Amino acid sequence: MSKKTACVLNGSLRGGTPADRAASATVKLLEDRGFGAVVHTLRDLDIAPCLGCFACWVKTPGVCIIDDAGRDVARSMIRSDLVAYVTPVTFGGYSSELKKAVDRKIPLILPYFTFVGNEVHHIRRYPSAPCLLGVGVLETPNVRWEEIFKTLVQRNAINFHSPDAEACFVRGDEDEDRGRIAAAIGEVTQA
Amino acid sequence: MNKKNALVLIGSPKGLETSTSARLARAVLAPFDDQGWTVDWIHLHRAVETAEGTTELVTKVSGADQVVFAAPLYVDSLPAPAIRGLERIAAARSERTGEEKVPRFAVLINCGFVESQQNDTAVGICRAFAEAAGLEWFGELTMGSAGNGPKRFHRALAEAGSALSSGFPIPPSARKLTRRPAMPKLLYVIGGNVMWRRIAKKRFGVTKQEILAQPCKEA
Repeated sequence: MSKKTACVLNGSLRGGTPADRAASATVKLLEDRGFGAVVHTLRDLDIAPCLGCFACWVKTPGVCIIDDAGRDVARSMIRSDLVAYVTPVTFGGYSSELKKAVDRKIPLILPYFTFVGNEVHHIRRYPSAPCLLGVGVLETPNVRWEEIFKTLVQRNAINFHSPDAEACFVRGDEDEDRGRIAAAIGEVTQA
Repeated sequence: MNKKNALVLIGSPKGLETSTSARLARAVLAPFDDQGWTVDWIHLHRAVETAEGTTELVTKVSGADQVVFAAPLYVDSLPAPAIRGLERIAAARSERTGEEKVPRFAVLINCGFVESQQNDTAVGICRAFAEAAGLEWFGELTMGSAGNGPKRFHRALAEAGSALSSGFPIPPSARKLTRRPAMPKLLYVIGGNVMWRRIAKKRFGVTKQEILAQPCKEA
C-alpha cells in the first residue's frame, strides 16, 4: 500500500512567527500519523496573482497560463490525500500569502456547473480530492473571526469536493497548540 | 465648504477599466458628482506592488470620507492582492490615535455563481477588516451571476449610490434586491455549461473532451 501524502501550505507572512511554528508542528504531527508531508513556505515562492482569465478552463484546460510556482503547488495539492492551510487568521480569512496559492487552485476544477445540495458549484476535474485542514493562528481568541474561518474552510471544501474538512486554532502555547492540531488531524483523517 | 472625498478600491485583477467590479462601482458612484464629491480610484493589485503605491493607498483611505470597495469573489474570499491591501491598511491604521476622522466603508462583492449568498463569507471578512482598521461599516451589496441581472440589480446599485452619496449606509431595501438569483438556478447551470463549451471551442479550438483534461494526474 502506498504511503499517504500531505501538502502543507505555510501562509505565514514572516519567518519565526507562530504560524511558522504551527506549520512545523503540523508537518511533524502528520508524519507521526504515517503521512509523507511536503511543506510549501509560500512567502519564499514566486506565485503571481490569479489573473481571472479562465484560460485554465477554456484555453489550456487544467493548467494555469502563468508558468511559476503556483502550478507546482496546485499539482502538489491535487496529488495529496490531505492539504493543510496554516495561516495567521486575517480578518477571519487567510493571509495574503496563503491566498495567492489558493487562488491558483482554480485549474483543479472544471468550468462546468453542477448542484451540491441546493447550491451551484463547479464540477470536479479529478476523480478524488484531498481532505482539507485549516490551522488558523489567532493568539487572542475572537469568536467572530473564528466563525468566519471555520465557514471559509468548509466552503472551500465544498467548492473543491474535499471528502472532509476541519479547522482548528492555535494560540502560541506550543504544547496546547500541538494537541489542538493533532485533534483536528484525527478528525479530518477519519474520512 | 470642503468637498467630501470618496475613494474607490477595486480588488479585481482586471482593473479600473474592464472589470465587473469597476462597472458596479461606477454605477454606485454615479450620484456622487452631483452631490459635490471628489472621487479617487485605486486598483489594489497595482497599489500593493510598490512601497509608494501602498503608502498612497493607506494615506488616501485615512483621508477619505467614504471608501467603496468592489471586488470579485475568489475561492469564497477576496483575491490575494486585495487581502494584501487590506492587511496593509489595517497595519497602518493600527497606529491611529483615535482623534482622526473615521472613514465609512461600503462593499460590493460579485461572484460567478448564481446565488449572491455565496459572497457572504467574503462580506464577513470585509466587515472584520473594517472593525480592525477602525472604519465605520456602511453596508454591502452582494451579487451573483457576475453582477449581470435584471432591472432590480440596477435599482439596487442606484439606491446604494443615492444613500452613500447622501451620507447614509446602503439600505436593506437595496441589499434585498440582489439577494434573489437573477434567473432560475437550473437555467443558470445549463446556460453556463453551454457558454463554457462555446467559449473554449470558438476562441481557442478546445473541444469538450479536451476541457476535461487531467494534466496533474499521476502516471
